[in-house]
Amino acid sequence: MIKINNLSKIFRTELIETHALKNIQLHVSEGEFVALTGPSGSGKSTLLNVLGTLEDFDSGDYLLDGQSVKGLSDKALSALRNEKIGFIFQGFNLIKDYSLFDNIELPLRYRGFNAAERKRRVEYALEQVGLAARRDYHPSQLSGGQQQRVAIARAIAGQPRILLADEPTGNLDSLMARQVMELLEQINQNGCTILMVTHDPEQARRAGRQVQIIDGQLSDAAMYDPLAHNNPLVKSSPVAVA
Amino acid sequence: MEQFLYYLRASLVSIRRAPLPYALTVFIMALGLGVFFANATFYYRLNADPLPHKSDKLFFPMMLLVPWECNDSTCKPPPVLSYANVQKLSSSDIPTAKAAMYSSDAYLRLDTKQPPLPVSLRITQRDFFRMFDVPVLHGSIWPDDSARNEVILTEALAEKLFGHSDVVGKTLLLDDKPLTVSAVLQNWQMLPRLYDANNRNYTNAVEQIYLPLETGYDMNYLSNSQSSTFDDTDYRQLATQGRTGALHQLQYWVQLDTPAQQQAYRDFMHNLATTEQTAGRHPAVINNQLTALRDIVTYFGGESGDIKAFALVTLLFLLVCLLNASHLSLNRYLSNQYELSLRRALGASRWQLQQQMLVDVLMLTLFSLAGALLIGFGGVQLMNYLWPANRLFAGWDLLLLSGLLVLAWLSSYLVTLYPSLRASFGALNQQLKE
Amino acid sequence: MSLHLMLQSLKRRKVVTALLLLQLTMTLALLLNAMMLASQTHASLNEPTGLALDNILQIQLKPTTPALRKYPALGDLLERQLAGVRTVPGVVAAAYSNQGPLLQGGNNGNVFKVGEQDRTNLSSVPMYFVSADFFRVLGLTLQNGELPVSPTLLDGPVQAPVVLTQHLAEQLFAGENPVGQAVNRGPVAAVVSNFYGQRTAEHVFNNVMQVAPLYGVDWGYSLLVRLDTGTAGTVRQQLEKVLREVDSNIEIFYVRSLAEQHHRLYRTEFGLAVLLTLLAGLMLLVTMISSYSNAHFHALKSQQEIGIKRALGASQAEIFIELLGESWLCTLFGAGFGVLVAVALNKLLATVIVIPAIPLWLPLLALAVLMCCVTLATWYPATIATRVSPATATKTL
Repeated sequence: MIKINNLSKIFRTELIETHALKNIQLHVSEGEFVALTGPSGSGKSTLLNVLGTLEDFDSGDYLLDGQSVKGLSDKALSALRNEKIGFIFQGFNLIKDYSLFDNIELPLRYRGFNAAERKRRVEYALEQVGLAARRDYHPSQLSGGQQQRVAIARAIAGQPRILLADEPTGNLDSLMARQVMELLEQINQNGCTILMVTHDPEQARRAGRQVQIIDGQLSDAAMYDPLAHNNPLVKSSPVAVA
Repeated sequence: MEQFLYYLRASLVSIRRAPLPYALTVFIMALGLGVFFANATFYYRLNADPLPHKSDKLFFPMMLLVPWECNDSTCKPPPVLSYANVQKLSSSDIPTAKAAMYSSDAYLRLDTKQPPLPVSLRITQRDFFRMFDVPVLHGSIWPDDSARNEVILTEALAEKLFGHSDVVGKTLLLDDKPLTVSAVLQNWQMLPRLYDANNRNYTNAVEQIYLPLETGYDMNYLSNSQSSTFDDTDYRQLATQGRTGALHQLQYWVQLDTPAQQQAYRDFMHNLATTEQTAGRHPAVINNQLTALRDIVTYFGGESGDIKAFALVTLLFLLVCLLNASHLSLNRYLSNQYELSLRRALGASRWQLQQQMLVDVLMLTLFSLAGALLIGFGGVQLMNYLWPANRLFAGWDLLLLSGLLVLAWLSSYLVTLYPSLRASFGALNQQLKE
Repeated sequence: MSLHLMLQSLKRRKVVTALLLLQLTMTLALLLNAMMLASQTHASLNEPTGLALDNILQIQLKPTTPALRKYPALGDLLERQLAGVRTVPGVVAAAYSNQGPLLQGGNNGNVFKVGEQDRTNLSSVPMYFVSADFFRVLGLTLQNGELPVSPTLLDGPVQAPVVLTQHLAEQLFAGENPVGQAVNRGPVAAVVSNFYGQRTAEHVFNNVMQVAPLYGVDWGYSLLVRLDTGTAGTVRQQLEKVLREVDSNIEIFYVRSLAEQHHRLYRTEFGLAVLLTLLAGLMLLVTMISSYSNAHFHALKSQQEIGIKRALGASQAEIFIELLGESWLCTLFGAGFGVLVAVALNKLLATVIVIPAIPLWLPLLALAVLMCCVTLATWYPATIATRVSPATATKTL
């Protein structure tokens, strides 16, 4: 699903160059649930942005679903994001003046679906996150957990191949965080690949695989590539239920 | 003072932070005010009252004393009077003062060897100078209305001809007829020149030289603005036929100080019309008009439609500019909202923020006023070029300038008021969080 | 882009949107009326005058000494002046007249068919007392009858024959042959083609001419000169010199081509049209500034929203169109109100000046102009907005 070889990214200012990502090697297979951990400033958000094609990179290769991302036009990248990737952000990032329906519908519009198709998908997504009754609410009328569920609904409405989540529970209390995690696990079980940035070790343990990033480099443990070593796909890592 | 300087500095810092939006705000304010002011100059001066203390006491009587038959009410009395009709009207002693008049052109020189100088002429009677507050510099006005070979000059003309102004008793040639100077007038300008309002003549300058009415008729001067003949009168025989026939070319003004006088004069006019009608001299219906000086332009339908139309439009323009400027300034204040919130968090009261706002208003007023004056000046020049007839009305006086100042301040205040209120009265914590 | 979402976005910024709308409305209203007035003035300046405007010069003058204003000295002066003018190269013909054509008002009087005053009386018809070459100078073509060749005294024992313009002849005689009949001014000798006389007359083509000595020159008189094409510049310079050489005791008020004279007739309208057009231009500029600042500010304020949209798959082009679309929508609304206000302003202006009603196609043209300006003004801010990185979405507020 995701194949990254020797990927590097450098932030340049007039005075200094910062190697945000150094020679990253990462392969994620279809259906995996990968947790990306690391201290703050280590480059995990940058990696997630690069994976989501939100940011460019300087060298190396990135194949998403078998397609090289390097050199794609803005239009092609936008279409790629729109069709294959779903995003979930720590701050939910819902558009506060749009109703839930309008928020979830937004990526479907860019995809060019007709009104009936959009409606069907939005309603289905809302049902999946359990907020079907509140389609005309505005984000400010919801709790944080509910808002994140809307964001998840928006991310999955287009039935993406991969879901990128950046600290999805960072702004939530533990009860709501657990609900969101359960929802993500359920989505993963339905076959969607998930890559989640988190600093919560407990949540990281719930993921199928943990990858750690320190100073822009994946740590040794994370370099471990299940495919290369012909290991079976594991989803049976110790799961501690809090 | 120290506090004021601090506010001033803060204001400048915030201007420097986003100079383009501020410059645009000032530009738009200056544009709106300048364009409005340019037209307001003409509007204000064209509609000014040159004799506010007596413009309701001077009247122009007009009567339908004409040789043709007219029996419907649409027949208006002619806007100029015949010599004979003026004689009839001036037979009354009710008015405090009265003068008939008209304007003409003539050529003037001191001797026949000089090239003739074209001059504008007002041919009038003794009371003209008293009624319209014309200041006399040297000499004295004619003692009565009889014909006399005397003229009255303006100071400027006297200096042009003789090199100095005290020229009473000197002789000059008006269309080669020798005449003596009996008085010299101080330089004066009646704007608008309401005593001659027909055909929009009120926008012209006052005349350079004044001649007694009887002498003017004897010398066969025709009116240069309007003379109409309603019978077979030969206008080349002004001295004879012109005095008896229906040759209309005179304005006639009477001063009626009290309502009683005015009523008495109306009665007099009515009696005159009735007598004339019964005598069979004038077949038309009675239609008497006694129009006051302040209403005379309206009566003759000579109001400047173009200036009025443009006034309407410039007012709209000003409004649009103010809307636009407040829009720009709203954006500016919203950009500064964080800073305002921070100031409030640090303990500034709303009143202190409002003081800052007042300093902002002061700055905006100054800048936009300077721009408005510049644009207004340009606008006046352009309008002078396009409408040269109104050229005399292009000047600015203190009242007009202070009007602009107040307008600029008011506009700046309005433009700053809503945005700053909105910025400083917002919920504190929410803004800081943003 | 969804209309519904654009409307919401405008509604969210209701104060600034309302301000912008008001401006757009007024701009369109003013633009429409300025266009109206300009086109009206343009039409007036292009109306038919029946005259070769560029090839006829008018000299307005007056003798400065009383002696020269009386016959026989005046008759002699006129002869000498015309003879002098005819020697200037490029002059085809010259004539005197008590007044020129293309005036606001001037010497005029009433005209009626003798015996039918009640039915045919026309007031304020311009009266021209001219020399025989007048018709040649103005290039009037003879329609009927015979032009008088020698002057007849106006105050002599017999009335001087009159020449009518075609329009006047039709009004007075309605289909009859006017030649041989009489009007109050004298027997009709001929009918000539129409020319523009005086603007304040009942009809600008109504004119009466008599070949006669000037009756009096207290108001000055005109010398009219017909020129070869393209000689106006050189002839004009020489005319004044020649006339002063003939007799220096004259004041020359002006030398003008009839084209200039025609333009002066509509000076007021021309001035107002220029000012209104200028103002409409400024208004467009102000509106552009407003649209620009509005779009710019909006783009800055909604960076995060744009970032989210980009992350969700909106391409740069889609963001660009979305912002332009909002401006267009706003302009359309403004234009809708603008047309209404324009009609109201038009009615208001009609109370103080002459201005025609607004035709249907004009609002569309004005809207197109407005759309162009708004698009131009929004272009740059919209471009800035497209540069917002989709990574902005991941930054938490």
